[in-house]
Amino acid sequence: MSIMAYNGASIVAMKGKGCVAIAADRRFGSQQLTISTDFQKVFAINDRLMYGMAGLGTDVQTLSERFRMKTNLYKLREERDIEPKTFAHLVSSTLYEKRFGPYFIEPIVAGLDKNGEPFICSADLIGCLNFAKDFCVAGTASQNLYGMCETVWREDLEPEELFEATSQALLNAVDRDCLSGWGAVVHIITADRIITRTLKGRMD
Amino acid sequence: MYSTPSTAPIAAAGPMQRRVDPYADNGGTAVAIAGEDYAIIAADTRQSDGYLINSRYAPKAFQLSDSSVVACCGFYGDATALASHLSQRMEQYQYAHDKPMSTPALAQMLSNTLYGKRFFPYYVHNILAGVDADGKGCIFNYDPVGSFERYRWQAAGSGVALIQPFLDNQVGFKNMAQEANPPFLPLEKALQLVKDAFTSATERDIYTGDQVEIFVITKNGVEKLSYDLKKD
Repeated sequence: MSIMAYNGASIVAMKGKGCVAIAADRRFGSQQLTISTDFQKVFAINDRLMYGMAGLGTDVQTLSERFRMKTNLYKLREERDIEPKTFAHLVSSTLYEKRFGPYFIEPIVAGLDKNGEPFICSADLIGCLNFAKDFCVAGTASQNLYGMCETVWREDLEPEELFEATSQALLNAVDRDCLSGWGAVVHIITADRIITRTLKGRMD
Repeated sequence: MYSTPSTAPIAAAGPMQRRVDPYADNGGTAVAIAGEDYAIIAADTRQSDGYLINSRYAPKAFQLSDSSVVACCGFYGDATALASHLSQRMEQYQYAHDKPMSTPALAQMLSNTLYGKRFFPYYVHNILAGVDADGKGCIFNYDPVGSFERYRWQAAGSGVALIQPFLDNQVGFKNMAQEANPPFLPLEKALQLVKDAFTSATERDIYTGDQVEIFVITKNGVEKLSYDLKKD
């Protein structure tokens, strides 16, 4: 079995009108055994930038701490918040440093830049960036998520519509994946604040 | 390009075993939805082998009678052989029973045919669509060795992972308010969903595209519609 599918995870991010959404499932398992149903996969850097990681759980946790350290140091040195695009490149270089012994994760970055422009980006496990204009998907249900996003996403969705689209895309995609699910967390990042909702879906 | 094998004798090569892989994956996707008084079944027409496209028009959905259409995704050689075999068996049934084979009867026969080759299977994922004795739409989904079940919506083939969750959501209303008692969809809405499913699958699945043939089966017969898909 693939190391990327050992713990199971699904992440999706979508662009909206003046907002972005990023969502993840909550399952953490050891192959077919479910161990935890509240495993955090999406992390906030500040109130306008978040990122999620699918893949091996230990690498998700290790990298979240490494990125927290790097962005804290960035803020101390630069005396300003890190821009989403800059953070995406930081993720890329951090992963490429381990080119021949990589972290087994697929990250997705989502946020608003200093002008309020929505930004989303995904990468592979060795740091190849994909600046998508519509949506980004990662994890064991990525094919399912591609199918859902391709049909439900439209340009310029308002925050409430974006929440519905993201939620339905994630919930229906993970319901066809044994290794993802057990609930979902959806974050909507708007100019004012981040709205976080926890969804109860099929708990299997 | 392909390397030319050397014809010079190799000293002391020892015993060698040659193998031929009897199967190939020719890609392609099929979708079916059953309604109150209709069944829709659609399949794309691209036939590929890895990165190479063998044909832009190699239909995967075969009309077997005025009430049944079968779509076969997987190895195209087995798909055509199976459709041909089924067609012949249906003709024999007509002569033996003096009536055409109904869709539920064909469903059972297809299962038996597939299990008959349990130890050298037809490498195909089938979906059978038609109307049952009450005039209600019915679709049956199969695995390569004949395990089958009746569904109201199902996808198959290379795009199954992309399309199945979409159908769960839009036909079965899963994770939505009407999940407990999903109403049957009107024909026009179901047709639109099938087209959307294929355009979306074509975007992200390299094995799906070129053209889609959609069969609409009602108690009045079978109607075939064709739509172009992206060719990249």
